[in-house]
Amino acid sequence: MDIAVCVKTNPDLQLMRVKDRAPVLEAVPFKVGDLDKNALEAALLLRDAAGDGRVVAVTVSEGDRKIRETMKEALAIGADEAVIVSDPALDQSDQAGVALALAGAIGKAGPFDLVLFGEGSTDGYSGQVPSRVAELLGLPEIGYARSLQSTGAVLRAERSMGESIETLETALPAAVTVVSEINEPRIPSLMNIMKAGKKPVVEYALGDLALDAAAVAPRRAVRSNLAEEQSRKHVLFDGEPAAQAEALINALVAEGVLGR
Amino acid sequence: MEKVECIVVGGGLAGLVAAYGLAREGVEVMVLERGNYAGAKNVTGGRLYMRPLRRIYPELWDDMPFERPVARELITMLGDGAATTVELASERLSGPSPQSYTIQRAKLDQWLADKATAAGAMVVTDMKADELLRDGERVIGVRAGGDEVGAEVTIIAEGVLGLLSGGAGLREQPRAADHAVGFKEIIELPPGVIEDRWRLNEGEGAAQLFMGDVTRGMTGGGFLYTNRASIALGVVVSMEQMRTRSDELESWELLDAFKEAAQIKPLVRGGELAEYSAHAVFEGGIDKLPRSYGAGYLLAGEAAGFALNALVTVRGMDLAIASGWAAARAALAARAAGDSSAAALAVYERFLRETFVMRAMEAGRGVPRAIENRRLFSEYPGAVARLLEGFFAVDDESSATLVRTSLRGARREFLKIDTLKDLWSLRKV
Ligand SMILES: Cc1cc2nc3c(=O)[nH]c(=O)nc-3n(C[C@H](O)[C@H](O)[C@H](O)COP(=O)(O)OP(=O)(O)OC[C@H]3O[C@@H](n4cnc5c(N)ncnc54)[C@H](O)[C@@H]3O)c2cc1C
Repeated sequence: MDIAVCVKTNPDLQLMRVKDRAPVLEAVPFKVGDLDKNALEAALLLRDAAGDGRVVAVTVSEGDRKIRETMKEALAIGADEAVIVSDPALDQSDQAGVALALAGAIGKAGPFDLVLFGEGSTDGYSGQVPSRVAELLGLPEIGYARSLQSTGAVLRAERSMGESIETLETALPAAVTVVSEINEPRIPSLMNIMKAGKKPVVEYALGDLALDAAAVAPRRAVRSNLAEEQSRKHVLFDGEPAAQAEALINALVAEGVLGR
Repeated sequence: MEKVECIVVGGGLAGLVAAYGLAREGVEVMVLERGNYAGAKNVTGGRLYMRPLRRIYPELWDDMPFERPVARELITMLGDGAATTVELASERLSGPSPQSYTIQRAKLDQWLADKATAAGAMVVTDMKADELLRDGERVIGVRAGGDEVGAEVTIIAEGVLGLLSGGAGLREQPRAADHAVGFKEIIELPPGVIEDRWRLNEGEGAAQLFMGDVTRGMTGGGFLYTNRASIALGVVVSMEQMRTRSDELESWELLDAFKEAAQIKPLVRGGELAEYSAHAVFEGGIDKLPRSYGAGYLLAGEAAGFALNALVTVRGMDLAIASGWAAARAALAARAAGDSSAAALAVYERFLRETFVMRAMEAGRGVPRAIENRRLFSEYPGAVARLLEGFFAVDDESSATLVRTSLRGARREFLKIDTLKDLWSLRKV
């Protein structure tokens, strides 16, 4: 079974600080997204259950040389090959541009029986890219799978609907996103890390995929993604508990929060 | 068993420089670093003495991510509620080839890791070496993450304490008496504020060292280094003296108290705490150095005891870098000779002697004894202040008698047989 797993590399959030409502990225290393590791693990299990095939980790990058180092993590976890679409124009891309690049790379490196994604990225978490890629490739999509099984021609996925569990089947090829409960991603052993350095890494420029900077240019601008700041009144009441409660109620009524 | 030519344990300065030196000669080398990334676990004060290093891999340092070149040196003695500061600003400190730079390890180590990687080394993070593999006397590789990997030469650059090499009996287990413990905060301040507070030209930095009350008279001191947009403020204190105190004082409380001291408060005012760390540092000196090589292995950096605690400054980073360089050269020589026996790797000692590492350790020979002397940290800082206060005092007495009183004071404070002995013991520091 040949599987493409789309992964996004992002700053290690555990090591990131926030200062003046902005992330401090200085000296923060990049790593493969958390949910993407679940997708990778699912792909490895399906590949091994099928007994043959390959798992290819696909990513996009604005051309930073370090992307190759970061993608070694995916190779160490067990991907057989990495594909990187690398172009400065991708630095500004939104989900539409990224999906075009991914779909192009998957088309070129394929064919694949299955395209896997995490349900969202660790940093942006828009969850849009999988559906966009599925659409571009003309694949049926199953979102939020918590288990996956393949019989070769048919893929069965379960997903949690809150009250119930939905079981879906699709013919292959297909696109699937997974949730974190699906598995526990393996931690690469030293031996696999050593082997990762020798696995093939293919790099495409946008031109190789019949795309250009204009095609992946952002179509919308993010003005702000900050939570709204709420100012607090910082009123403190002293005195006996009963008096404090009375004062609090009066204050809330005065604010119009409570009616009496 | 999978094999590589060289394994380096520890992605600190010593290990990364060794790996760089090997990789650039085409040696297959793998660095194992237990931290999340190179530099993640490393604590330093923050000043790297660069001058002697420039000759080592001159191509390497051009784009080193330093914070500020140190253009102003200050030593502050705290005692008796007073602070006396000696200050030096000199063109010879900074100039075109500055003597030292303030640095931050998270950045410096990652940068070095990138250099080593670009040269062809494999830097594996999140990977602790659990055990050294032995074949009799010989070190033949490591066990890490459940796997065993063999190597012709293993460079052990695990830093202070040397738990891995100690566990394998390559060196003695660490003793509190040979170590100090350091606590450090990174406090963010805008660059302009830093330049105003320490009267610096734009981009220049200051190093301020403190002795006396900061360690309550124990051996050690305080340090303050200016980064680009933060300061590193810390305290280093003798582990043994801390351990054998009869009161309840915890070593980290020294830093809290230091920050609150009247003379320090204005220096950190308005700053925002960004980072806190603690670490041991070796101060046993040349007499306590372990043997730095043996069949199949070399010890480099602080794992080999290369660190100096001279009164109030700690030096270890430049020694780590230079010994990493020497270790790479020794491993290359062994490779060329096709022999990694202890006899073949003994060239390491020669390379170390050729660099400033052994000269610096030699020059610091008397330091451990000298700084055990508590008078340096308890009596003198206060005495210096009292002496100067005498000069500055204005009261009823005529100025003539005032000078005489001060001189009498000076005689009382300093012209003691102990003082002369102390001065003598410090001549080498
Ligand atoms: C508070 C303080 C202030 C200091 N101030 C200064 C100063 O201003 N200037 C100066 O020059 N020096 C200073 N020093 C000393 C200096 O920081 C050290 O001597 C220097 O960092 C030693 O470098 P190293 O490469 O030998 O070890 P380290 O930098 O400690 O690196 C060792 C590395 O090995 C890794 N490691 C350890 N064990 C394992 C294992 N089993 N498996 C995998 N990885 C492992 C660690 O995670 C670490 O990354 C200071 C030290 C302290 C504590």
